[in-house]
Amino acid sequence: MKPFSYVVPKSLDEAKAAAAQPNTLIKGAGLDIVDRMKERLQTPATIVNLLPLKDELKGITVEADGGIRIGALTTLTEIENHEALQGAQFEGLVGAARTTGTPQVRNRGTIAGNILQFTRCWYVRSEAFHCLHGGRGPTCLAMTGQNRYHAVMGWSDCVRVHPSNLAPPLLTLDAEYTTVIGKETRRRKFAELFPEEPRAENPEHTLDDGEIVTAIHIPQQSKNARCTYAESREKQSFDWATTACAIRIVMAGGKITEASMVLGAVAPVPMPRPQAAAMLIGKEPSTKLFRRVAEKAFQGAAPLAHNAFKLPIGKAVVRDALEQATR
Amino acid sequence: MSHPPDHGVSRRSFLKGSAVAGIATTGITAATKAAAGPPVPESFGPGEHEITLSVNGAKKRVKVETRTTLLDALRDRMDMTGAKKICDRGACGGCTVLVDGMPTNSCLTLAMDAVGTELRTIEGLSNGDNAHPLVKNFVTCDALQCGFCTPGMVMSSLACLEKRGKPTPEQMRQDLSGNLCRCGTYGRVMEAIDKTANGGGK
Repeated sequence: MKPFSYVVPKSLDEAKAAAAQPNTLIKGAGLDIVDRMKERLQTPATIVNLLPLKDELKGITVEADGGIRIGALTTLTEIENHEALQGAQFEGLVGAARTTGTPQVRNRGTIAGNILQFTRCWYVRSEAFHCLHGGRGPTCLAMTGQNRYHAVMGWSDCVRVHPSNLAPPLLTLDAEYTTVIGKETRRRKFAELFPEEPRAENPEHTLDDGEIVTAIHIPQQSKNARCTYAESREKQSFDWATTACAIRIVMAGGKITEASMVLGAVAPVPMPRPQAAAMLIGKEPSTKLFRRVAEKAFQGAAPLAHNAFKLPIGKAVVRDALEQATR
Repeated sequence: MSHPPDHGVSRRSFLKGSAVAGIATTGITAATKAAAGPPVPESFGPGEHEITLSVNGAKKRVKVETRTTLLDALRDRMDMTGAKKICDRGACGGCTVLVDGMPTNSCLTLAMDAVGTELRTIEGLSNGDNAHPLVKNFVTCDALQCGFCTPGMVMSSLACLEKRGKPTPEQMRQDLSGNLCRCGTYGRVMEAIDKTANGGGK
């Protein structure tokens, strides 16, 4: 790692002021940032450490309107175990947290860090390769190179995939996020966190420089709502998903009345599949229906040279999430 | 490397407003004192400075740079070479230490981030020939071959025992899922945990 200054803010105001300085990175646990600094992909002059701001930024609370607020510094282990998230409505979020990384990573890693993490593309993450991402080179090296773990849909000039497995369930739950920058506090829909057109020059998220995520909000869920998450991996632990799917459905009288679906690990951003989800509305759950929905979810997917396996596996993962949600 | 002057007490006021309050004896030597007027956060580095880490119940002062990882501070600066540097990217678990009781990759944790926490390392589990029952059971169960993953494996096993009392095999698998053993001694490690949970090795 290159040397840097390490700032310890006493308050969010101090953190905001420090974050506004040039060549500054903001960190929570810093697992991804330390990794990137070791690779010299990031060489900030200053690191602002948010960890001391636990009172403001950590913890899970049920708010007056029945919604749930998850502080940005809340660890994945805390999400896994918190009583407010034990219902079927949050099964997919808790399940995604539980399958992330390793116990060591989950004990430190925060929800904000998870949704803001950098792609795992091995070309992007290696100092040795000059790929298009971030303007380091002329072309996307994965597009014609080793692309087993890369995108099958939704890409334009860079075939990286979004690595967060908490983002798909949070999107299906219609979550929002709050950020602070300067004197401003912004609260937006979760979908706005990700670029509409994920080009190589765009970062993984739409935050401005110096903008700090302070909390994630999940609106109150109806009693018969259920959110589930399924993913495929090559190892049972210590691995990123090769494909992932989060589903939220509401059932009434044996029929599905509300549905949303978001795929993970198949595109540079988490991919909502509203057309596939719409096919579920008004229907009774059945294997036959789920097969058609899974086909629809991957309609238009165009695999690269080495990742065609993601299509059949991804469809099975969609069916798995649907089976769990309607069991 | 510049060594900032020791102001000592300025750390106390910082601790008051933060969640690490109550461990106020732990201190970072501030590089700059907060001036009056607009808030100026404390800043350290980029050079060396002294911090205090609480390791296995003892307070230890150690000189680090801001970029020094907890693993490097333990191994290179404090002569505690139990935790192993294997992948150095949080992908193997060889560097596992307990931070406030939770298994943590010390290679991905900055030493600065560990100020104000209670650290426990493999060194804390033995006192001369008198070892923790878990360590004795690792030996009697033959739970290691080359032994390089063992310090990390023991710390994850210890956290598993402390969290669950008598863990089931499934719980052990889950709690050890962040530690790789190239020799494949997982079965024996689980035996050692089980034996410890049932009072063996005392």
